[in-house]
Amino acid sequence: MTSVHVSDIEPQDVLIVLRHPPHGSHWLREGIDVALVAAAFGQRVGLLFQGDGVYALLEGQQSGALGQKGTHPQLAMLEMYDIDSLWVSAAALSERGLSVDELMLPVKPLSAEAVAELIQAQPHTLIF
Amino acid sequence: MLLHLLNRSPQSTAVYRDLGEAFGVNDQLLLIEDACYAALPAASGVLAAFGGRISVLEEDLVSRGLAGRVSPAITVVDMKGFLALTETHERCVSWF
Amino acid sequence: MAKTTARTLMVEGQPIALDPEGYLVSLDDWSERVAEALAAEDGRELTSEHWEVIEVLRDFYQRFEAAPAMRPLVKAVKQSLGAEKGSSIYLMKLFPESPAKVGARLAGLPKPTNCL
Repeated sequence: MTSVHVSDIEPQDVLIVLRHPPHGSHWLREGIDVALVAAAFGQRVGLLFQGDGVYALLEGQQSGALGQKGTHPQLAMLEMYDIDSLWVSAAALSERGLSVDELMLPVKPLSAEAVAELIQAQPHTLIF
Repeated sequence: MLLHLLNRSPQSTAVYRDLGEAFGVNDQLLLIEDACYAALPAASGVLAAFGGRISVLEEDLVSRGLAGRVSPAITVVDMKGFLALTETHERCVSWF
Repeated sequence: MAKTTARTLMVEGQPIALDPEGYLVSLDDWSERVAEALAAEDGRELTSEHWEVIEVLRDFYQRFEAAPAMRPLVKAVKQSLGAEKGSSIYLMKLFPESPAKVGARLAGLPKPTNCL
């Protein structure tokens, strides 16, 4: 897996870091909601999937057992909000036995060094 | 140069790991609330990624009975010290 | 989340439940007749220009399980109906005040959450 170098990273108005998996808590949904609201207000939004947040990108997700909405339709909708700066921690993926080509969105893998630089380079970072 | 604020106990290893990945070479970590427990010498393993750039908030130590138990590698700061850290860093990033 | 019924609208002898803001309580209640009745409440008659945007809105909801805010609505209309109609000015003329909110109501969708 080739990692993106940080010089390829365009600065955003806000970076949202998603660290939680789907379904188990409200964190992931709230983080995506904040991204959508910011984008609806014309902000340039970047997303970083880190830790268990990478599970949000798995193909083949569905609604919860009791019909609770999943987060995958929200992620599919990012494109309609022109949110296309999507990064993922390469370490988080490989620790979970995943690779970028089995994910539902075109995300760019970042080395640990690049993750740190990405966060340095953004004017605002919100962790979810 | 960022100031990272962390409020989770060292039991929450995932957040220490993710923060460690995002931690820049000139960044500083401030342990607050339940993250104070990470300042004990026995918990030093979770802080390996942060070099010597770690502080802990005194008032949260005191309320937990941890004053005097802090690992010598960690700087204890009071509220004034906390403010000074926010002034000497570009931005704060909160982890929880 | 169960929505509360504030009032009902009679359409072809059937009571249609509306929430406090006039959106359908149950999205399954939607029909073209219902859309016309909702539009009539606002003193509006639906033309083919309205219907094609309503279709775009319903398709958006089908795909993403959410009603679009203005920006993605413009984008979706542009993708389906072309650049001329995919503009906020055009949509403002069709659905004055707030195309995202008014359009969602007529299309039987919930109120868009990420909206101005």
